[in-house]
Parts: sequence; C-alpha cells; structure tokens
Amino acid sequence: MSVHEWKFGVVLEYWRNFARGLLGTFELAAIIVLAALVGGVLVGAARYSKLRLLNWPATAFIELFRNTPVFVQIVWFYFAFPVIIGKQMHGFYAALLGIGLNMIAYSAEIFRGGIQSIERGQWEAAKSIGMGYAAMMRRIILPQAIRRMVPAFANRLIEAVKATSLASTIAVSELLFEGEQLANSIYRPLEIYTVVAMLYFLAIYPLALLSYWLERRLAIDERVKL
Amino acid sequence: MKYEWDFGFVLKFQDVLWQGFLGTLKIGVLALAFGSLVGLFLALMRMSRRRALSLPATGLIEFLRMTPLMIQLFWIYFALPILIGLKLDAFAAAVIALSVQSGAFFAEVFRGGVQSIDRSQWEGGKALGMTMPQLMRRIILPQAIRRMIPPFMERSFELMKGTTQAATIAYGELLYQSMVLSSRLYRPVEILTCVALLYLVMLTMASLAIRYVEHRLEAARS
Amino acid sequence: MTPDAADPILSVTALHKHFGDLHVLRGVDLEVRRGETVCLIGSSGSGKSTFLRCINFMEYPSAGRIVIAGKEVGQPTGTRDGAPVYRYRERELTRIRTSVGMVFQQFNLFPHKTALENVMEGLLIVRRLPRAEAEERARADLKKVGLIDKADQYPSRLSGGQQQRVAIARALAMEPAIMLFDEVTSSLDPELVGEVLRAMRDLAHEGMTMLVVTHELGFAYHVAKKVLFLHEGVIHEQGTPDEVLKNPRQERTKAFLTGFTDFYF
Repeated sequence: MSVHEWKFGVVLEYWRNFARGLLGTFELAAIIVLAALVGGVLVGAARYSKLRLLNWPATAFIELFRNTPVFVQIVWFYFAFPVIIGKQMHGFYAALLGIGLNMIAYSAEIFRGGIQSIERGQWEAAKSIGMGYAAMMRRIILPQAIRRMVPAFANRLIEAVKATSLASTIAVSELLFEGEQLANSIYRPLEIYTVVAMLYFLAIYPLALLSYWLERRLAIDERVKL
Repeated sequence: MKYEWDFGFVLKFQDVLWQGFLGTLKIGVLALAFGSLVGLFLALMRMSRRRALSLPATGLIEFLRMTPLMIQLFWIYFALPILIGLKLDAFAAAVIALSVQSGAFFAEVFRGGVQSIDRSQWEGGKALGMTMPQLMRRIILPQAIRRMIPPFMERSFELMKGTTQAATIAYGELLYQSMVLSSRLYRPVEILTCVALLYLVMLTMASLAIRYVEHRLEAARS
Repeated sequence: MTPDAADPILSVTALHKHFGDLHVLRGVDLEVRRGETVCLIGSSGSGKSTFLRCINFMEYPSAGRIVIAGKEVGQPTGTRDGAPVYRYRERELTRIRTSVGMVFQQFNLFPHKTALENVMEGLLIVRRLPRAEAEERARADLKKVGLIDKADQYPSRLSGGQQQRVAIARALAMEPAIMLFDEVTSSLDPELVGEVLRAMRDLAHEGMTMLVVTHELGFAYHVAKKVLFLHEGVIHEQGTPDEVLKNPRQERTKAFLTGFTDFYF
C-alpha cells in the first residue's frame, strides 16, 4: 500500500471550473431562496387561513413536499414531468422546481409557526384598543413573528445550498457537477472532491455563523419579564 | 396532448421495487445504528473538558453538518479508496457516508439533550453526595434522553430521506431501482410517480408516528 | 336614544356563555353607573374572567343583552336559555372596543415597542391622531400612572408592577367609557401589587368608570361602590362592600370569604 501523493497543484490549475461551479450553485440557491420567501408567505398564509378552500390544498402541498425526499422530487420533475406536459425540461428548471417547491413547503411551515407562536395575549391586547385585523398583523403580530422566523429561515437557506448538490445528477452546472466533470477528465478524484468539500464548507459556514448570531441576538431582545 | 397513464406496468415489476425498498431499509437501519454510535462518540468528545478532544470534535461536527451529503458520499466512494488503498463498494460507501453525516447531527442532538438539563439538577444531585456516574445514571440521563427523543426521531426521518442519494453511486435502493426501471421501460411517469407516492405514504406514516410519540412525551411531562 | 347622565355606562342583562357543553355563565345581570367602581369577586372557575371578556367581546356571549354607553351591541336574532341571542359583526365590535378599555392579568404589552410607544399605539393607529399629539397625550397618561421617566424603556426592562401600570396607561389613552380590569395583580410579586392598586385607586377617585375582577378584597372594600359575588356562573350576592364583605347573607359568600386570611380594612 503506497502513500498517495497529493497533487493539489494540478487541481488548482483548473480553478475556473470550480469557480463556474460555485457560481452555478449560488445562482440556484439565490433563486430558490427568493421563491421560498415569496411562496412560503403565500402558502403559509393559506395554511394559516380558516377557509378550507385555502387551508386544505396548502396543507396537502406542505405534507407532500415534506414527506418525500427532495431527490425524488428533483428526479420526478426531470424525468416524469416533461413527459406529462409534452415538453423538454432543462435540468436547471427541474432542480428549481424540485428544490424550490420543497423549500416553499418548509418555509410555509416556518411562517405559520412564527405567527402561531405569538401568544394570544398580544392579539387580545391589540384587539382591546380597537385595532382591526390588518393593523394588528402589520404593527403587532408580524414584527414579532418575523424575528422568530429568521433563525429557522437561515437554517433553511443552509439546507437549500446543500440541496443544490443534488442537481449535479441532472447535469446542472453547479459545484459538484463541475467537480465530477473534472474528475472524469483529469482523474484526480481525491484532490478534486476534497477541494469541492472545502468550497462547500467555506460557502455554507458563514451562513451558519450568521444564523447562530441571529438566534442569540433575537433571543435576548424579546424576552418579556413577568 | 393528454398523457396516457398506465399503472399496470408498475405492478408487473413490483419485485424490482421491493428489492429497492429492502435496499433502502438495509442502508437506512445500518446507518441509523452506526450513526448513533458515531454521534455518541462525537458528543462525548465535544463535551469533554480536554480541548484536544473537544476542538477536533467540534470541527468535525460542524464540517459534516455544513457540507452536502452528496459530496461526502462522493468523497467516500471515489476519494477515500485512493487514500486508504481499499476499494469500497456502493453499499459500504453509502452506509459510511450516511452514518457519518447523521452521526454529526445526532451528536448535536445528544449534546443538546444533556446541556438542556437545568444546572439545578446537577447541583441537587451533588448536594445529596452522588458521584458523577450515579448522577448521570439516575438524574441527568433519564431526563436528557426524554428530551432527545423528538429531535432524534426527526433526524432519523431525514436520514431515511437521505438514503435516496445513494442512487447516485448506483446502490440498489428504491429510487435507483425505479430510475433503472423507468429508463429501461420508457415509462418514467407511472414508475416515478408510484415510487414518489410510496415514499409519501411511508414517510407520512413515520411522521404521524413521530408526532404521536412527541405528543405522548409532552403529556407525560405535564 | 340619547344617553342620559343617569343612565348606566354598562348594562348587562341575562348574560349566558357556553363553551361546548360547559355552561359557564348562567344568566348574569349587572349595571355599572358613571364614575362607579364595581368589583366582581368569586373563586376560580366561577366565570369572572369569562364575564369580563364578554363585555369587550373577546368572547362572544351565547345569549344576553349588553348595552354600552347607551348603545345596544349586536343584532337581536332569537332566544336561548330564555334570553335574547345577538348576532355580532366584527366591524361593530372593533369600534365598541375603543370605548371599553381592558387591562389583562398578563399585561400583554407589545415587547417590540417602548412604554411610550405602547401607550401611543392606539392613539396613532386607531384614533389616527398626528404623531405629535398622540405622543403628548401618551406622555400625560404615563405621568398619571407615575412612569413618565420610563417612557423610552422596553417592557423587558420594567418590573411587573411597572409593566402593568403601562398597560393601564395604554388602555387609559383611548379615553374609554369604562375600564375593565381582569385580575391585574394576580401575576405580580407581592411587593409590586401596591403600586398597581394605588394607580387604580387614583383612577377611581378621578371618576373613571371601572369594572374590576380581583382577589384583592382590601381594594374592593376601600374603593368599590358595589361588590358582586359570582359563583358557578350566577351572581349569588351583591351590595355595598360593607354588606357583601363584612356582613354577607349567603352561605356561599361566607364560605368564600373565610378562605381569605389577609383581609385588612
């Protein structure tokens, strides 16, 4: 058994590939997060609504996307969906749909949970001074709820970035895919995949630090002493 | 153009899918078991007072949690063999990757459970003259384990969902079998939809079971 | 019908409230005249809080007539338990709530706003006053409860007693026709109760119409004009503080009162 010679130099020559991959990862992640914010609010509001017409479909959507693996969702949108709609689907859009809808489902729950975590007393106090529903939400409930949701959203963002790696299987140019392609052409999987792992870590770790910081900051601010 | 659905196909090949299901269970259960051990080990290291143990453990845990399972899987399947000179088959690689990643998350669950026990519990036991092992066994762990159960179940749930990624290194779990089948038979819609529904049913049941247990734990506490 | 000075600010007739199978309020009659302080006492589960919450429609009454400042609330639409049933529209109720101030046991201050902002909120958003005017009036109300120096503090920095006084100022700012107090000292540490009761007493002396649910019998005795004893959803006894607290006629009232050990008057 010979000691393997690490040849990082060879690999770093191809930094452009990694850069291209990272860009692709960020592109995907950015669109997904935006979609999750908007979609999450809408679906979360529907889930929270007392109207069955809104509540039931929202609940079904959320349960569907949380109780199936995201990889299955991506694969389905890439292979099955195009056949149903009779159109070709580029991997990028399949990944967007799969991961995006998944993220929307989780975000909706975060949104709903945030609103529901606001104790009833706040609603009652706002009502008792004569506030209507819109004013209550805008001035009292949402400002407090959003603070609570931020750490959970930050976590979801991390999960979304990790999930983009799955898009490599459907030929989307993101970090892992570029790594794979490179490994197939110059065959140095050890160095290449080590670099890819490092890059993912460097990309995600700041987000985690942000999330820890936010969690601590928001926990201190809000406590009401009784 | 309206697509013509034909689920008859799926029934004909249920054996293949069943094999896939077993494959999922195999790596899932093994990864759960090994992952728990890894998690326990890492948690103990992390909570140790010796920095030589706690710092590397923290570093490893954070690294494993902040990188995608996919890259860990690829690294273990393609890169590790080069390093240790041992060829790994897809099964081994999948189990190792899933165990290690889940282990990192489990470590945080274990640590969280123990650290969430109020200091007064430790002090109460010490004041009675208990030794550390007695304290852990009779006061701390029973309470801590109760608190660990819900997040542990959630993480196990995520682990089972993660088994699908083993398909990328051609391990014959359920998703892999369904993809092979659908490409061979040119009927991706029915097969993949069916498999998606299968996952949905199983995971929803698991989710309900988890919620039930959480509910019972809540009730018992109050 | 124009409100007369002699008309009661609050008039409740035959109030019933059901929670599913539970018949919590079984026909309560009550009247509070202008400038009066009325205390409602009773054991937990008697329905005191529920009653109060029906007055500002945090809960909808199952049956019964409520008249606030001369206006009957809701549309009559049938009978139940021998009392008229009303249909309520949230828009009307939102308006009514501006005339009924409520102070809660758990204070329920808005944690993301300062004391001053808490008091101003109703004036700014509901009464739509310009900011300068709202602030001026809010400061005056904070001064009344003795907390003007804490105007820019967040609730998390205030003691329980201070938070409750800010809550009183917040309700007061809306210039309600009547103020409701729902066991407002029950969550407070004993040494903080006094400052809140003093603020309430000052309010009463200034002529505020108040309906107070409380366990503080000393307060009831010294400040209230009328005391009502609620038991199992009905008023068992009512009268002046001397009558109800010192010389109760009903057995149940006596039984309830003997439970109190520190009753100073």
